[in-house]
Amino acid sequence: MLYYIYDGTFDGLLTAIYDSYYKKDFPEQIVPQDNFTDNFLINKVYIRTDEEKSKKVHDAILQKISRGAMANIMYAYLSEHENAGIFILEYLRFGFKVGKIIDSYLADDRVNNINKLVTKVAREKHLLAGIIRFRLLQNNIYYALIEPQYNTICLLGKHFAGRMSDQVFVIHDVKRSYGVFYDKTKWFMSDIEINKDIVLHEKEIFYQELWKRYFDGITIESRLNPKLQSNHMPKRYWKYLIEMN
Amino acid sequence: MDLNEKIKILSDSAKYDVSCSSSGSSRKNKKGGIGNAAPSGICHSWTPDGRCISLLKILFTNYCIYDCKYCVNRSSNDIPRASFTTDELVNLIINFYRRNYIEGLFLSSAVCVSPDHTMELLLKSVKRLREEFNFNGYIHVKAIPGASNALIEETGKYVDRMSINIELPSDESLKLLAPQKTKESIIKPMGLIKSGIIQYQEEKLKFKNAPQFVPGGQSTQLIVGATKENDLKILKLSEYLYNSYKLKRVYYSAYVPVSNHPNLPAISRPPLLREHRLYQADWLLRFYGFSSDELLNEEHPNFDELLDPKSGWAIRNLDKFPVEINKADYYTLLRVPGIGVKSAQRIVQGRKVSMLDFSDLKKLGIVLKRAKYFITCKGKYFPQRSIPTNPVSIKSRLLLEDNIKTHENIEQLSFFTLFPDIMAAEGEL
Ligand code: SF4
Repeated sequence: MLYYIYDGTFDGLLTAIYDSYYKKDFPEQIVPQDNFTDNFLINKVYIRTDEEKSKKVHDAILQKISRGAMANIMYAYLSEHENAGIFILEYLRFGFKVGKIIDSYLADDRVNNINKLVTKVAREKHLLAGIIRFRLLQNNIYYALIEPQYNTICLLGKHFAGRMSDQVFVIHDVKRSYGVFYDKTKWFMSDIEINKDIVLHEKEIFYQELWKRYFDGITIESRLNPKLQSNHMPKRYWKYLIEMN
Repeated sequence: MDLNEKIKILSDSAKYDVSCSSSGSSRKNKKGGIGNAAPSGICHSWTPDGRCISLLKILFTNYCIYDCKYCVNRSSNDIPRASFTTDELVNLIINFYRRNYIEGLFLSSAVCVSPDHTMELLLKSVKRLREEFNFNGYIHVKAIPGASNALIEETGKYVDRMSINIELPSDESLKLLAPQKTKESIIKPMGLIKSGIIQYQEEKLKFKNAPQFVPGGQSTQLIVGATKENDLKILKLSEYLYNSYKLKRVYYSAYVPVSNHPNLPAISRPPLLREHRLYQADWLLRFYGFSSDELLNEEHPNFDELLDPKSGWAIRNLDKFPVEINKADYYTLLRVPGIGVKSAQRIVQGRKVSMLDFSDLKKLGIVLKRAKYFITCKGKYFPQRSIPTNPVSIKSRLLLEDNIKTHENIEQLSFFTLFPDIMAAEGEL
């Protein structure tokens, strides 16, 4: 059994794709090193991330398949699904064969596997655009905590930077210990380590209370349907929702 | 009175307005400004009744000079009253928006002092949001029936969507339950907004920077079950509003009993199932190319509560089935029960590269529960022992399959009805 092991970055993954083509390998799995559990039956190849190789794969996808295919594998990668790496390789092999019509092969497993992951990530991205809650801190930074199921917050930087263009904010993915930062001119991603106490702005609790009041006021008692509520907004996201606590 | 108390009173009074959608506008943020509109709309939370919160839906005031019988705010009702100041309101919006609680504002009001006075208050609030705070998020404002043209037109320049609720689907019902309102006071502003929108769309073609006017279109709401109109009459009215007034949306609100006036029906719970069927039918009008005459007629003026309108239509028109999946055009596919917009698009896309059979359809994510009675793949029916072909047995099969999960279905109802527009395009009937 041949396993490709990469450093977990997107560039690393594309490098793995490049190497498999170059060496005419058919790896069984392509996994990030952090998720890899060794056993003696596995033949391991460690991928050395190489931006040039990664760029070549990127350009080839745009040229020979499509922009949409590029977005698809990016989303699939962000799903962090255990098979994402190998699904992406299979999808790209197929794509290099059939070209831009690839996404019409909806019933083909190589396409279907990717589409399922893409849908999940896209859905979470849309949900998070709505349910991220900023808390205003004493130092005038709007700070949001979230534990997404997939690695989606990097997809939200553009959305929030465009929308909250005149406020400094941080969206902190607690699970992955990194965040999206915006400083009123540009947004970027960086690791986060909190070493000071977080102090709320003096007005923060006041607005949180008003929001809760609104949330209670708008509910129609004769239509209660909590199951429907949690279908739309699964409980795993409630932890940081002001109105649910 | 403190702000907490005001919010409680003024949101409580606004909650029966079902529209909450923030879609249809693509207003951009300005330099140094706050907010923009997402064309597909974004939900920010869901209340325990399962409805999405997108806009802060609130009344400016619930003091009312009118006495509409079906309404909690009617002047004869003894309830706590409150009014915002514009300062309070605009600060609330900005602070909620910055914390990403909301997508924007849906501002409505009871009629306080006079229609013009009320409309002026609404105008002043939205104007301040746009000009003073450089706020570019979504704003939906209710036009107050009876307010002057000039005020309504000016408000239209600042908002993304405007609506005037018809509420009662006929003249007689208006007389019975809202005698101080007239059909004219509702229809006139609708016409005004419509011509404003048309003018804006024409100017937009000519000049890139034409001043915006209600870019998200207008909508209205009809109350279902407070008066005796049947489904046919309601659907006809909607169809007319879509065609003649170019409305973006008609919302249906199951009447929630708020008073026991003798002119109102004595019901204990809102007719949610009926509301649900009307929404389904409304989709068939807007996205599936159906007309109201196909769905209902004088002989059958109401929807079958047990069966969705599309299945009902298909069973009455079995001569048009089965439809061959690999040949039928897009609009024919859309008419198959169980095949929605997304499914039809997938079929059209998928069959470009190979003929589809039933197992392919499953992989495409097409639900065959309903569709299997109405389609063939490569000339063959679904491989099941017996697929009935007469109306009576198809209907009983459909009902049987539904019944397995009746309880769940009834709970699921408002899933369709109250999700914003984005669901509408994806909803599968
Ligand atoms: S005018 Fe509006 S708020 Fe006043 S009673 Fe009638 S429906 Fe209610």
